[in-house]
Amino acid sequence: MARSARALLTTIGLAALAFVLSSCDVGGLSPIFPDPVSPNGKGIYNTYVGISVVAIIVFIGVEAALLWVVLRYRRSRQPAGYMPPQVHGHTGLEIGWTIAPLIIVLAIAAYSFVELQKDFQPISNQEMTVKVSGHQFGWDYDYLNGVVVHQEGSLAAEVTPFVVPTNTLVKLQFDANDVIHSWWVPAISGKTDAVPGYDNFSWLKIDKPGKWRGECAELCGSGHAQMQIIVQAMDKSDFEAWMAKQKATTASPSPSPS
Amino acid sequence: MATTVLPRPKQYDDTFFKPISIWLTTTDHKLIGIMYMVTSIISFVIGGIFALIIRLQLSQPNLKLVDAETYNQLISAHGVTMIFFFVTIFVTGIANYMVPLMIGARDMAFPRVNLLGFWLIPVAIILYYCGFFTGGSLNAGWTGYTPLTEKAFNHQTFGVDFWALSIIVWAISGIMASTNFLTTIVALRAPGMRFSRLPLFVWAQISTSILLLIVGAPLAAAMILLEFDRQLGTQFFTTQGRPVLYQHLFWFFGHPEVYVMILPAFGLISEIVPVFARKPIFGYMSMVAALFGIVFLSMTVWAHHMFTVGMNTYVEGFFMLMTMLIAVPTGIKFFNWIATAWWGSVEFTVPMKFVFGFLATFLIGGITGIYLASVPVDTQLHQSYFVVAHLHYVLFGGSVFAILAGIYYWFPKITGRLLNRTLGEWNFWTVFVGFNGTFLIMHTLGLEGMPRRIWTYANPAWATTNVIITISSFLIAFSILVLLINVVHSWGHGEIAGNDPWRGNTLEWATTSPPPPYNFERVPPVRSFMPVRDLRESGELIEAEPVLTPT
Repeated sequence: MARSARALLTTIGLAALAFVLSSCDVGGLSPIFPDPVSPNGKGIYNTYVGISVVAIIVFIGVEAALLWVVLRYRRSRQPAGYMPPQVHGHTGLEIGWTIAPLIIVLAIAAYSFVELQKDFQPISNQEMTVKVSGHQFGWDYDYLNGVVVHQEGSLAAEVTPFVVPTNTLVKLQFDANDVIHSWWVPAISGKTDAVPGYDNFSWLKIDKPGKWRGECAELCGSGHAQMQIIVQAMDKSDFEAWMAKQKATTASPSPSPS
Repeated sequence: MATTVLPRPKQYDDTFFKPISIWLTTTDHKLIGIMYMVTSIISFVIGGIFALIIRLQLSQPNLKLVDAETYNQLISAHGVTMIFFFVTIFVTGIANYMVPLMIGARDMAFPRVNLLGFWLIPVAIILYYCGFFTGGSLNAGWTGYTPLTEKAFNHQTFGVDFWALSIIVWAISGIMASTNFLTTIVALRAPGMRFSRLPLFVWAQISTSILLLIVGAPLAAAMILLEFDRQLGTQFFTTQGRPVLYQHLFWFFGHPEVYVMILPAFGLISEIVPVFARKPIFGYMSMVAALFGIVFLSMTVWAHHMFTVGMNTYVEGFFMLMTMLIAVPTGIKFFNWIATAWWGSVEFTVPMKFVFGFLATFLIGGITGIYLASVPVDTQLHQSYFVVAHLHYVLFGGSVFAILAGIYYWFPKITGRLLNRTLGEWNFWTVFVGFNGTFLIMHTLGLEGMPRRIWTYANPAWATTNVIITISSFLIAFSILVLLINVVHSWGHGEIAGNDPWRGNTLEWATTSPPPPYNFERVPPVRSFMPVRDLRESGELIEAEPVLTPT
């Protein structure tokens, strides 16, 4: 008993130490993904929080039961010569812990399905469409008006941002030229795979100006890590100005066409 | 009433020290089982070394310990080695050793198929590693998604071809072993060993074998089609073909494979808890039913690995629901284990400590599985370090903890000697702390946006977490080293175990340690699923006096 108790204390101590060490860098230890700036990201965020409420209760309950067995039913705590009751089962209990998890997972599935129907259906009321195309190793953003942003991957330098206007419903259509890539900016929403020959889509509607980072999330070759993503949201007027400048650059003959 | 005299406990070990010619040609299921287990432990060490290199490379941002191409080969080799060559092979090996003993059989039904099935495994392993010696191994992750593995993007080396061939050989071996297990369990049970009296480890092996029989062939098919693409110029999975078809075929195998690795672990836990709690298993029938519930459900969930590919939301909803339903049979098993120990007289020997380590950590893997099953949440967590943490919680915190429990529990039966308890305690506590230190905080990396399979990163916010993970991973390595020292030392010098050191319930404890080639001089009568315990309690079991000097 004494030895196990000491070992248990050591474990708790080490866990606490690890926690303190990692708390030194608050940005490095978060129990949840960043605060989302797009409604679909917020929907996912809320689903995550909802599941967490149930998950934490189940986690604490079951771990407490395990701990109770460890502390209360260990042989050294039982009277000498204790013979445990030879129970072979209990139909009521067994049905109980079949039904209870069933209700919990059905509730979680229903809750998730509502979010799935709300934010993952194809949309047609978009104010703007951008064709996002992945290649080894970077992204092309085609605004379908002649302007294309080439976001070539790099770990050393900041990549060219993909610019969108704020408070605008932008539909993203995904495609890939070579292998499978996956477009992921955690602060905006979940990831969308870009599979060669497959149509896939996502959307965003960012509520404030700013820059958000993301990465390619599907192993796509030796340059996978450098396929960084930056999304920049601008006020509509700033965006119009930016777009006009891009159009002018595209229209004039470029010395180094990409 | 007839009494059953146990054979005399052995005072020495004769398992391992045999001429090489016997090892090469034996059809004894026990020796083949040992060879499976030794092979898998070698793979475990190799795969672990890969993991340590990966962790060193990721310990700080912008490190260049290995280059991107080598890194991609390392993560692929780590995954393939641990899944195909360690966990699956170990659970096959321990079942090969124990299933005939537990059902009172003399050997497997097809001893020579057993022998061939085993020897295909070293062939598969060597084939895979040939990639490293011919310029480059598989570099697309253990899943080998097309079109990245197609000729157009992977033509410089033969790594992908060696991997595909290796997996085909592996699948054939798995199908052989599964057929053999099912035939053995159906046909060779001892008198009285009805299906309703099978030990739960044997039930777990039935369900595992059914699963592997069904899903082994689609895996081999996917690999053959991939080879057609690469060598004959077909277009099944290429950019012009259907890359997503490959994902369907692969995950139709890949998800049930998770259960091929965890169901034997469930069986092990179901054997060990009753022995050390001195209570019968709680809810035997619901345990068996839960196993088959998992077998059925596990084949209806594969597309939950593909929620970001872009499927119809109703199809995604179906796979989400089926995935979450797996929590129901798993929950039944979990609560039954707790109920078995409840009111018990629980002895926390080293195997029992590992069982509770399993329960405490596997629970976390199960709960994070619910997050990943939820389609909207999965689009955030998929392909991130959250998934890496989750899969290690079910594979390491689940299967490997159960395997370690099984090693400590059955080592005395296999070698005749107990593993050293002090080293065992060290092994348990260091691996428990090291494991949680490595993988618990890894969840947060995924939530912060770190994708898996990147060879390096520039974001300084991930540095602290990564360095803690790397340090903890070396604690796991230390722990495994302690285990290996314990195994090697105890095999020659451990305390003599006798026939039945734990006062076990099942038939393997009614013969010598190690058992003779024919397993039993006389198979004891079987009157329940705890035959040895029945005999002990009715006074029919007479312990023979141990032989005092080796003969």
